[in-house]
Amino acid sequence: MILDLQRFQAQERPCWMKLESLLGQLEGRPDRLMKPAEAELLQELYAQTATDLNRVTHGALAPELTRYLERLVARAYAELYYARPTRSELWQPRRWKRIFVLFPEAFRRQSRYFALAVLVTILGCALGGFAVRYDPASVDVLLPADYLRNPGLRVHDEENGKARHLDSAQIEAAFSAQLITHNIEVSLLAAALGVTCGIGTALLLFENGLLLGAVAVRYTQQGFGLFVTAWLLPHGAFEIPSILIAGQAGFYLARLLLRRREDRNMRESMWEWLLLIAGLAMMLVWAGLMEAFFSQHHTPVLPYGFKVAVGAAELALLTVYLLLIGRRDPRAEALTNGLTGDR
Amino acid sequence: MNDSRPRLLPTSAELAVATPEGVVFRLPLAGPASRLYAMLLDTVIVLSAVNGLGYLVYWIFAKVPGFGAMTITLAEFAIGFAYGALLEGFWNGQTIGKRLFHLRVIDQSGLPLRIEQAWVRNLMRVFDALPIAYLVGGISVLSSPIMQRFGDRVAGTLVVRETPLSAPTEEAWNNQKYNSFTMYSALAMRLRGAATPELAGLIQDALRRRNELAPYARREIYRELVAYLQTEIVLFPDELVEMLSDEQYLTNAADVLFGDQRLSRIHG
Repeated sequence: MILDLQRFQAQERPCWMKLESLLGQLEGRPDRLMKPAEAELLQELYAQTATDLNRVTHGALAPELTRYLERLVARAYAELYYARPTRSELWQPRRWKRIFVLFPEAFRRQSRYFALAVLVTILGCALGGFAVRYDPASVDVLLPADYLRNPGLRVHDEENGKARHLDSAQIEAAFSAQLITHNIEVSLLAAALGVTCGIGTALLLFENGLLLGAVAVRYTQQGFGLFVTAWLLPHGAFEIPSILIAGQAGFYLARLLLRRREDRNMRESMWEWLLLIAGLAMMLVWAGLMEAFFSQHHTPVLPYGFKVAVGAAELALLTVYLLLIGRRDPRAEALTNGLTGDR
Repeated sequence: MNDSRPRLLPTSAELAVATPEGVVFRLPLAGPASRLYAMLLDTVIVLSAVNGLGYLVYWIFAKVPGFGAMTITLAEFAIGFAYGALLEGFWNGQTIGKRLFHLRVIDQSGLPLRIEQAWVRNLMRVFDALPIAYLVGGISVLSSPIMQRFGDRVAGTLVVRETPLSAPTEEAWNNQKYNSFTMYSALAMRLRGAATPELAGLIQDALRRRNELAPYARREIYRELVAYLQTEIVLFPDELVEMLSDEQYLTNAADVLFGDQRLSRIHG
């Protein structure tokens, strides 16, 4: 087939102009809703323009016209085949409030990845603790910071207020923001490292566990177990689980990418990953506030026993929240797991 | 509307999407350079917004600067991630930088991207930005056949170029009434049959940009094009070619390729 391009363009141009104008109207609407008559017209003009594109592709050498028609067909294709969320769907406040329920649900659905994150961290803790306990030379390598190596000095300074740079609520506020952003960034990295088949996520969790285990054993060894518990638990009750949830998100992402081709619910899977991120970000906001405003105060301002009790209460509340909020009838839960692929 | 997924036919510079109706359209992919410029512009916009907000916040919190610092640190962090995610999600795949550089993020099936994809690809920036200056993301773009950074691979998106297009007008390639190639109708037919769209586009561009090219460069380009056509596509007789300048040869060829393409014209 050889086209008379001049005649062809003269004949078909009104149809293309009409489609261009209709697409302009539709794309300019915030909600992108189409009336039935418009949908019918769009379908008709799309079919005609697609046919024209086929004719030009196979019957003439007209690169510019081909590019123009391709663009037109691509735009019409997007309008016809894409079900856009309406504004009302996106801005329903109730929907956004549901995140507090959806997050623990997502956490429970993907609990196997959480268990894996816990396992890797415990391995790191065990190695860090073991190294400090039985190989004193490893202390300099694992705990390079002076305040971590010499707990006695640290505790003395803390209890006498010498190590505190936070002498007012305002500085504590600024410090809390730094902690929140830093922790969220690190957690996000742990979750994003899932693209390395989870290896990066595992290494980050392991390193975190290594440091935690080394610090815990070093302080306990020298008789400051209560201090370190009171120091870490009030914010650690949220911070450590949130890093573990970041690991959970990372392993989940790794699994998701490995079986992407078979996954028919990619959209739901992405929401699941985002829910875990949103949840851990909320937890880290609380952890940052606690670390800046509460954890840095020691005996005699805040007795260690009280700090440990607060931390334990937080941990208990978090456990109840993650395990029980949004829990439904077991049969309904099983059905939901089935629908979301139980990834 | 239809469950069948479009068939993807990626090439080095474009993504071809086959629709369920069997129509294939191509989307030109955005290269790393234009994406980098758009990102730099977006960074400038975000930094300006954060600085502007910073002045306002410090003014409001003048008596409690610590809380001002807290607010601005958190706002800066949130804006850094939300700027790209919200704009791309709600503004049909474009940030301000992408819009100015005619780029758009789309789903890799050719459809607009969804909100969750916009969030995923923007949150994944923490990995793509490693170790400095988006090195990981840049390597990923260069190594991907459809130029995806890791965020795009995870979200199933890609970035396309969208330069403004309008319906092309007719071009008269040959103002002379007579085209000597039409004397050899079989050869002219062969030229039309054998020339690829890319080669035809090259001839078209070379002729259109005649006045933009330096005389020496123009002569060289035209000479190379004619030599290529004569050796690889169709061999017009020497006595005809010797009578024509390279430019005239290409003008005649363009007339055969893009002019009135009815056989009757070729037969004269």
